[in-house]
Amino acid sequence: MTLEAFRMDGKAVVVTGSGRGLGKAMAKALAAVGANLVCAARTPEQIEATVAEIRADGGTAIAVPTDVSKSADVDALVAACVAEYGRIDVMIANAGGGGGQAPPEFFDATDEYFEGVLGTNLKSAFYSDRAASRQMVAQGGGGVIVNVASGTALRGNQQFAYPTAKGGVISLTKSVSTMLAKHDIRVNCIVPGYVSQRPADSEQEAEVRRNRGIRVPVRRLGEWWELGPLAVFLASDASRYVTGEMFIIDGAGLAGGLAPVSFAPQHEIGAAS
Amino acid sequence: MSPVTPPEHFDLAGKKAMVVGAETPVGAAIARAYAEAGADVALAVLHADDSVMRAKRLQQEIEAAGRKSAVYVMDVALGRNVQVTTRQIAKEIGGVDIAVCASDLFLGKPIAKTSDSELQQVMTYNFNAYYFVARSASEEMKRSGGGRILFVTHVLGERGLSNTSAYGAAHAATQNLVRSLSQEFGPQNITINGIATGWMDWMTDRLDESDDDAGRAVRFTLPRRAGTAEDVAPLALYLVGSGVGYVSGQIFHVDGGLTQHL
Repeated sequence: MTLEAFRMDGKAVVVTGSGRGLGKAMAKALAAVGANLVCAARTPEQIEATVAEIRADGGTAIAVPTDVSKSADVDALVAACVAEYGRIDVMIANAGGGGGQAPPEFFDATDEYFEGVLGTNLKSAFYSDRAASRQMVAQGGGGVIVNVASGTALRGNQQFAYPTAKGGVISLTKSVSTMLAKHDIRVNCIVPGYVSQRPADSEQEAEVRRNRGIRVPVRRLGEWWELGPLAVFLASDASRYVTGEMFIIDGAGLAGGLAPVSFAPQHEIGAAS
Repeated sequence: MSPVTPPEHFDLAGKKAMVVGAETPVGAAIARAYAEAGADVALAVLHADDSVMRAKRLQQEIEAAGRKSAVYVMDVALGRNVQVTTRQIAKEIGGVDIAVCASDLFLGKPIAKTSDSELQQVMTYNFNAYYFVARSASEEMKRSGGGRILFVTHVLGERGLSNTSAYGAAHAATQNLVRSLSQEFGPQNITINGIATGWMDWMTDRLDESDDDAGRAVRFTLPRRAGTAEDVAPLALYLVGSGVGYVSGQIFHVDGGLTQHL
């Protein structure tokens, strides 16, 4: 009974940003539990590769090249899902990106820089959630939306525009969940911490990751595939009483953070000071 | 680390689970879910009363499905008793890979009317029990190279509500225990997380059916219904799966959006 809740047989699922990294891992995980996938990203070769991998594993998927910072593109993406599968059941609004380095001084940041980062990371989530929910309601209601934010949104960060946009995604999730509840559409948000996007391609890269991992409470970086089971939980009926929530997956980073992870005070009560 | 695909993640075959508070609706639902996923499940009840009979029936159900199960009475007021019982469970079912604590005792009273002994009892069942279970279970997990600890707590641990000062404070303590221990257990491959429930259908201790306000509280949820134990079980399974090692130190709400809207 409980295990059945995680199955997604025949569900039509769109994953944006599924040409690589976390989006690709989520798309493959959802296909592994029976979902029919629409893989979207800007680069056709990458989403075609994701589709090929899903099909090789016996799954069903199509690729739809999409620039999520353009609302017409996102509307067309949902239309493509409906054309292929007759409906949309789940939208995973995962696409996003850093948008390059912020200038060292905050006051030197340009309008173009800030707006560009908001377009890729926040407006894209709005376009995706809007297009998906419009179709979900048109087909009779019911559905699931999962946005992807970032742990950088929950603490200050010198890249400022990206955390600000991702903070907006968290806020969008909460507000939209209240507006779509009456249509039986749940909206939640994944908040990843430091997670590697792919296997290390050299010993040097593996060493860099090990050194960064030492600063995480669980003493390692997360890996792309670890988003898979979480995506399945949130996209499926397993999370039927969960909405408006953030799911932080960060190796216990945000639970701590008051001192270096190795710092552990030692003091006996009553011991001579 | 080798990637874990979702069906494999939810497979608990060969895992040994201990559920404290197995006589409660949520404890029983979690125990059932773990058994369904393939785990052997030790059922620890909080009192030597009719809870034992209820747990025995659950034990039979789990055994009928082909898993090992046994019932234990655990006095969570005593750390030593929790330790000895946990040791016994580990010896009898072959270890403790997963430990769940779903102990709960509600009290609804203004602070002025709350006695010392009531405060102590509330702290015992809503906080001390969790502390003792984490302390004892983590020792067993260290022997086998890691494990998963899951606390079932309540959203009153992070929000204020009249007449719940003792109960809310105890759950707040339990929720911060999750955060502290996630740091302490991080290097030992032991994850610890919490599920905070909201207004659940079995909580007649705080949702008196004859009280109109109780119905209004339930309508504060976005789906406008109280949650069920079966709503909690899937998340309880996700949080102890083999591929969840990077999730730790978090409290996840299963509350129908209760805490996320104005």
